[in-house]
Amino acid sequence: MEDVKIKIRRSEPALSSEWRYEEYSVPVVEGMVVLDAVHYIQNNIDPTLAVRWNCKAARCGSCSAEIDGKPKLMCKTRLDSLGSKITINPIKAYPVVKDLVTDVSQNYEIAKKIPPFTPKQGLQEPWKFMQIDVTRSKEFRTCIECFLCQDVCHVIREHQSNYYGPKHVVKIAALDLHPIDSIDRSELMHHDGGLGYCDITKCCQNVCPEEIRITDNAIIPEKERIVDHAYDPIGVLIKKIKKRKW
Amino acid sequence: MEKNSNSSLTWFPPEFKELNWRLWSFALILILSAGALILYPVSEYQGYVDPFYSPTVLVIPLIALFRLSCYAYRKDYYRHVFRHPLACIDGIRFDDKRKGYSGEMTFFSLNNFHRYFLYIAIVILPFFYYDIYVSMMYVPGEFIFRLGTIVLIVNTILLTLWTFSCHAFRHLTGGHTDCYSCKTAGGAKKKFYNGQSYLNRYHEQLAFISLIVVLAVDLYIRALIVGWPVDFTFLKFVI
Ligand code: SF4
Ligand code: SF4
Ligand code: FES
Repeated sequence: MEDVKIKIRRSEPALSSEWRYEEYSVPVVEGMVVLDAVHYIQNNIDPTLAVRWNCKAARCGSCSAEIDGKPKLMCKTRLDSLGSKITINPIKAYPVVKDLVTDVSQNYEIAKKIPPFTPKQGLQEPWKFMQIDVTRSKEFRTCIECFLCQDVCHVIREHQSNYYGPKHVVKIAALDLHPIDSIDRSELMHHDGGLGYCDITKCCQNVCPEEIRITDNAIIPEKERIVDHAYDPIGVLIKKIKKRKW
Repeated sequence: MEKNSNSSLTWFPPEFKELNWRLWSFALILILSAGALILYPVSEYQGYVDPFYSPTVLVIPLIALFRLSCYAYRKDYYRHVFRHPLACIDGIRFDDKRKGYSGEMTFFSLNNFHRYFLYIAIVILPFFYYDIYVSMMYVPGEFIFRLGTIVLIVNTILLTLWTFSCHAFRHLTGGHTDCYSCKTAGGAKKKFYNGQSYLNRYHEQLAFISLIVVLAVDLYIRALIVGWPVDFTFLKFVI
């Protein structure tokens, strides 16, 4: 099989503000993924090339990068799905540590602000709930925290705001839609979380390697929950009347 | 990372302040088409009521607001009119750090009233079904089935599917529920929700197809009025 030419953005901001694209020629073996090619470069051409990975099975979410401009997992992208010239960039929404490794720790700070699972009062352990009530929140639990959705989101990438980002809305929706959780986090998303910045353009949904339908199933439902308490006076009134004891 | 506070936002969004020919041509198209609909109205023609004028031309602004606040169209005009972003891939996104952006925090937070326009749309929908009936029965004592009726049926079905695949409808009819099994008839409720969710997957496609078909039906009826031979009678009998 032919070689592929792989261009990788190399930089180490702690040492120098300069960066460059370096091109490598990699022999292709049947079934090879982009991460294999990067490992080939590390092992045979340039051991100083930095890349983060763990499972090589699309389960850990470590090897996120932009392959020909598209945010993807390197371990889940086969070389034969790409052309003979490939460009790999680190994910651009986050500061580079070195080469393809970025610092995604902002996300850990955001995660701390989200109230954890809080079961309704008076429930007996072990908690019991029905399958039909958890199917929706199960979809969100497949998130591998690769931050590809955060990377592709223009609110995070191109604009300064307080928006938490799609990955965190997925987490919040998983909790809010849970049958025995007692907190409504849409209030938080309306204010501190800045969900209003999301303009439902669905790039996050397009890149999620777990095929979570982020915008349709997490973001829009959260937006609708915000509408429930902040933009629907008639709905609020009906709820009040229903609650009132006559 | 430095973050803006929401208090720095004004009601008039930065998106409207930039020189954006896409925005102004989009606004112009909307104004011109509204003007054309008012200046060149179509009254009923041989039993066919033009969808833009059913039940009255006065509902056009409401339907327009239903379309404009629909999640599917919102996505499209944020992308193609404002380019926030135009595409997801690096290099052709045409979004920019220097461009002002407020998303749905300021002016466009009005889109949150979408569910009210949904209610209006649901009220208007039966009129289209009535129009189908009229198109077959407009001559007293006679039943007639023509190509135009099929056109109206297709249009009405698409409008119905688009309306009921709405995201707000999805939320209101089941999405807001966290525990189905705690409710009476929870199983049925969840089944309905699942069915509606299936339809909701195709909401964007339905939004566009139905828009194109409505425009086509309008043109079809106008073509009939100017005498184009584009209608065809399948069935006709006295009742
Ligand atoms: S849909 Fe919202 S969260 Fe997802 S990429 Fe677009 S703006 Fe970001
Ligand atoms: S939601 Fe999808 S794209 Fe986002 S972090 Fe989770 S797995 Fe990755
Ligand atoms: S190495 Fe684990 S997801 Fe790619």
